[in-house]
Amino acid sequence: MSTSLVERDTAQPTRTTAPLDRLLAAEVRWVLRRPRTLVMLGLFALIPVLIAIGIVVADRQAGGGLIGAVAGNGLVLPIAALTLSLTLLLPLAVAMAAADAIAGEASHGTLRGLLLAPVGRLRLVGVKAFGVLVVATLAVLVIAVVGVLAGSLIVGGSGQVVTLSGTTLGTGEALGRVALVAVWVIGQLAAVGAIALALSSLTEHPLVVLASVLGGLIVFGVLGAIPALDWLQPWLLTSGWGASADALRDPLPLGGLGESTLRALCYLAIGLGFTAVRMQRRDA
Amino acid sequence: MTAGRAWSRIGVGAALAGAVGLGLIAVPAGAGAAPELPPVSAQDLVSSVLTAKPGPFNGTVALDNALGLPSIPGAPAQLANGTSTARVWSGDDGKGRLSIPSGSDEKTVVADGTTVWTYDSADRTAAKHAVTPGEHAPDQRSATDPTAAAAQAIETLGKTSTITVDGTAEVAGRPAYDLVLAPNPTERTLLREVRIAVDAEKRVPTRLTVLANGSTNPALEIGFTDLTFGPQDASLFTFTPPPGTTVTDEPAPADKPEGTPGQSGPPAGTTVVGDGWDTVVVGKAPTAPQGRPTPGDQGRPGGAAPDLSSLGTPVSGSWGSGRLITTAVASAIVTDDGRVAGGAVPEQVLTEALAK
Repeated sequence: MSTSLVERDTAQPTRTTAPLDRLLAAEVRWVLRRPRTLVMLGLFALIPVLIAIGIVVADRQAGGGLIGAVAGNGLVLPIAALTLSLTLLLPLAVAMAAADAIAGEASHGTLRGLLLAPVGRLRLVGVKAFGVLVVATLAVLVIAVVGVLAGSLIVGGSGQVVTLSGTTLGTGEALGRVALVAVWVIGQLAAVGAIALALSSLTEHPLVVLASVLGGLIVFGVLGAIPALDWLQPWLLTSGWGASADALRDPLPLGGLGESTLRALCYLAIGLGFTAVRMQRRDA
Repeated sequence: MTAGRAWSRIGVGAALAGAVGLGLIAVPAGAGAAPELPPVSAQDLVSSVLTAKPGPFNGTVALDNALGLPSIPGAPAQLANGTSTARVWSGDDGKGRLSIPSGSDEKTVVADGTTVWTYDSADRTAAKHAVTPGEHAPDQRSATDPTAAAAQAIETLGKTSTITVDGTAEVAGRPAYDLVLAPNPTERTLLREVRIAVDAEKRVPTRLTVLANGSTNPALEIGFTDLTFGPQDASLFTFTPPPGTTVTDEPAPADKPEGTPGQSGPPAGTTVVGDGWDTVVVGKAPTAPQGRPTPGDQGRPGGAAPDLSSLGTPVSGSWGSGRLITTAVASAIVTDDGRVAGGAVPEQVLTEALAK
């Protein structure tokens, strides 16, 4: 027994990396223990509740749009709440997590320890990206789950969904559509998070990351609204963000959702690739 | 630190791949190489179109509108300049379904053979029209279904035009012949040519392009971006008003939600001057709309239009005075004494028709 122990020790005398699962668990713990993350998730839970109360209080044939479709149609609420939040609030949450992940650690001086620690730089980027993705996923899940509950309890709608095409979906299929939108939103947020991480690796000031991401989203929105610049639309991440309404059409058209997901994957590759290069060269 | 440099390269590669991928998404699929097809005469092509039995299909139709129509309050968004899409399902026996999304809303038209339902998600209303079998089949979808729209154009324009088969094209990923209708030189019209892509296998028109004089870009292009032939799910062609819907029953002969200009003979009180491409229709201004009482019905020149007096520029001549409304492919004059003249012609032809 003792010899095998010795052998194992000598067989890997230069182990320089910690097990990945432990790193990921530590990162998630670190992210979730921050009070601001918890407060943020709590506030996200309020969004569908507020929309539901607003719709019930207003109580008249609301106009068109996703919000109008929620009236008497509770299971549309999570989709509407996710779509509304995707415009600014969810990117804000993701940008906050990404800003803390690298720039925040740099400003506290703790990044030096991470860069000197026996953890590969690329692995560090992966762990940080995972932490951001966890925040995005949790935020989306909170909105989706609270949305389903608030939609069923406050708005009502007998578990069925009336689609924009005038057909009626059963509860199972309706929940499937909600899950589809949730996954799609997580994909879009992953793209935002990757770009935010790239910005985060460039600076030591978390506020710069936050301002750049939100400013960028607003600029994208403005560019997308100018008719003369419609050739620019396919390049903009935000131009496909109306596709979530497609989940309420029947038969389900996947073109818009698929194209915006592909675009998000491209932004994800750019953001993560840039972050990897930058962190590789960053001085401790 | 060679490992680090290798990872850096992978990072650069990933970023580049992302950028290239974005470019691939952004650049439109573009017209591929013109497919090789056996030559066919225009006559054969037109006749094969008129006899084609395509069977059930589904597809996506894209409309690219650059007609330059003045904005009319209450008109559907598809009339204004811009692009829009619709999804079409077509079954046998006049069954069909049409979905026109606009923003987060959708208009749905379902024809089950005996009844046509129109559902609007914006105000959750459903309208029910009874139709007699056979009447509705081509007309109901003609505005967004290139099959019907183009077949109609071939019929009406064949007498005063030169019809040629001008090469091949690829529409919705399917090889197609490009049928070109050009006005005879004697025709005084704003139109340069009308191109109709005809699917090589099924012989159905799959794209209609209207080109006006003085512009290389189409004034109007409507065509399939996606087209699949084959049996369709029967449940697509049934409609049950969902709970919470206001249903209106309109038993009268269906007022088409998307009408076709000139789909029937001229109504009473209108005269047609000229023929072919320089046809001018002269009629009464829509002060007392007859048989079109619904406010949802939209105006087009000569139809039950809203107030036209704010549109266009003032013109006058020996025929009187009025306002001239010009678009890329057509012009219209609304005279002060309540007449309307319109056609795909320049202003001079309109005034000559009014003077008659």
